[in-house]
Amino acid sequence: MAVTASEGPFSRALPWLVPLALIILWQVSSSLGWLPPNILPAPTAVLEAAWTKLQDGSLIDNLGVSFARAMSGLIIGGAIGFSLGLLNGLSKTGEMLLDPTLQMIRNIPHLALIPLVIIWFGIGESARLFLVALGVFFPIYLNTLHGVRNVDPQLIEMGRIYGMNNRTLFLKVILPGALPSIFVGLRFALGVMWLTLIVAETIAANSGIGHMAMAAREFMQTDIVVLSIVIYAILGKLADSATRALERKFLAWNPAYAKV
Amino acid sequence: MSSQPTGGSRVSLKDVKKAFGSNVVLQGIDLEIPAGQFVSIVGKSGCGKSTLLRLMIGLDTVTSGVLDAPALKEQAARIVFQEPRLLPWASVKDNVAVGLGEGQSGQAADQQAAAILEEVGLKGREGLWPSQLSGGMRQRVALARALVSQPTLLALDEPLGALDALTRIDMQALLEGVWQDLGFTALMVTHDVGEAVALGDRVILIDHGQVVLDLAVDLPRPRKRGTPEFAALEGQILDKLFGDDPRAREAH
Ligand SMILES: Nc1ncnc2c1ncn2[C@@H]1O[C@H](COP(=O)(O)OP(=O)(O)OP(=O)(O)O)[C@@H](O)[C@H]1O
Ligand SMILES: [Mg+2]
Repeated sequence: MAVTASEGPFSRALPWLVPLALIILWQVSSSLGWLPPNILPAPTAVLEAAWTKLQDGSLIDNLGVSFARAMSGLIIGGAIGFSLGLLNGLSKTGEMLLDPTLQMIRNIPHLALIPLVIIWFGIGESARLFLVALGVFFPIYLNTLHGVRNVDPQLIEMGRIYGMNNRTLFLKVILPGALPSIFVGLRFALGVMWLTLIVAETIAANSGIGHMAMAAREFMQTDIVVLSIVIYAILGKLADSATRALERKFLAWNPAYAKV
Repeated sequence: MSSQPTGGSRVSLKDVKKAFGSNVVLQGIDLEIPAGQFVSIVGKSGCGKSTLLRLMIGLDTVTSGVLDAPALKEQAARIVFQEPRLLPWASVKDNVAVGLGEGQSGQAADQQAAAILEEVGLKGREGLWPSQLSGGMRQRVALARALVSQPTLLALDEPLGALDALTRIDMQALLEGVWQDLGFTALMVTHDVGEAVALGDRVILIDHGQVVLDLAVDLPRPRKRGTPEFAALEGQILDKLFGDDPRAREAH
């Protein structure tokens, strides 16, 4: 490549330059009155809102509620997707029995089910869990299945020649071989997870970050609305970083994931 | 600590035939391979070399005829393929440990793995991932994995076929050294006639599923290529392989 970024503090600061400039521009525009606060509050106003909400404890409460919902949905949907992905990847019968149906259902956007889900579950916790679980199910299922099916058959033959039983073959060859693909699924799932949660909490909830934003909207508290958006962004980023850290730990053998 | 000699075991085939459905791949194969011999197997692509190898180490069964190889009963036959087939997510040491089979771990296993890694010249690389090794080193790990359980019969299916010319020469010397140290019976398929003569006590040429040449190589080791005796043996094999088609020989 012709363009090479030099090492050192400058190249490390480079990615932050544009976001920083945007925030400064935003602050200046607000301070000069170009941006009325009812359209977009100043960054300082958002920080202030964060401080107030932190002090009265409601920010932490809502954050905890949203986080718990996200994780429970991820664990339920992820576990089912992972198990079915393994089952259908390992068993031809399972695949022929279940995969065509799942591939068909996959084409329904899960958010289109919201009216039906509200009829089934009301607007309680189970409705939100169901939606998140359904949303994360497919990326995890598809990528687990893909990963298991694409394990190098030469490695499987090697394992058999060396006398591995099914359990060892699964633990030492198939699962590690499918792991990179499973991680791809997990990353997709995390994106779907936040998106679903935002929608679910905005439409029907009496707690959580989405609810905080909707309640603020009624009183035109744009600072809190923007705060909620920023928090969602931070949560998304944190989830992504956590996945990257896991990838670096579990896929260290793969040059594509090695720490650069 | 280094590896102890393991000795070899004999293989005998009597009128062996192998067919896949109606496709007869091998027939009328009669071979007596004494314990500890290094046998090179050559032949054109698709003539049945790999099939013969797989039969002799029990990865496939004969259609008719008798195959007698004590190593099969003792589960002391191993194979090295052209691709190393290492687990990319396991360290060099753990890859070698795969060769020890189920439930073999602990200090004794570690020592065996360390000894065989030293034998193939990989001491000090135990902790590396396969992706951190060169092609030649990866193939050495595969060799160590095959040898760690002290097989008496080792099949090698174009083991050096994927390596560059210089690495191949290195690896030929390594293979010869390991074989001399450990004493197993070696069955090596190669498409390189020079390599077959350099390493084999005997070169077997397969054509259309039959043994058409069985040549003893009585040159002192390590063998020097380019000597008249060496060239004469190579010529004999090439003649049989390509008949008198000079262009085909030229290309080789
Ligand atoms: N499992 C199998 N099922 C059906 N046919 C097979 C099978 N294995 C090999 N054959 C056939 O047997 C013939 C010989 O194959 P083999 O792999 O032994 O050749 P080879 O001499 O090793 O060739 P190459 O030098 O290309 O590796 C081929 O025609 C191949 O199609
Ligand atoms: Mg072959």
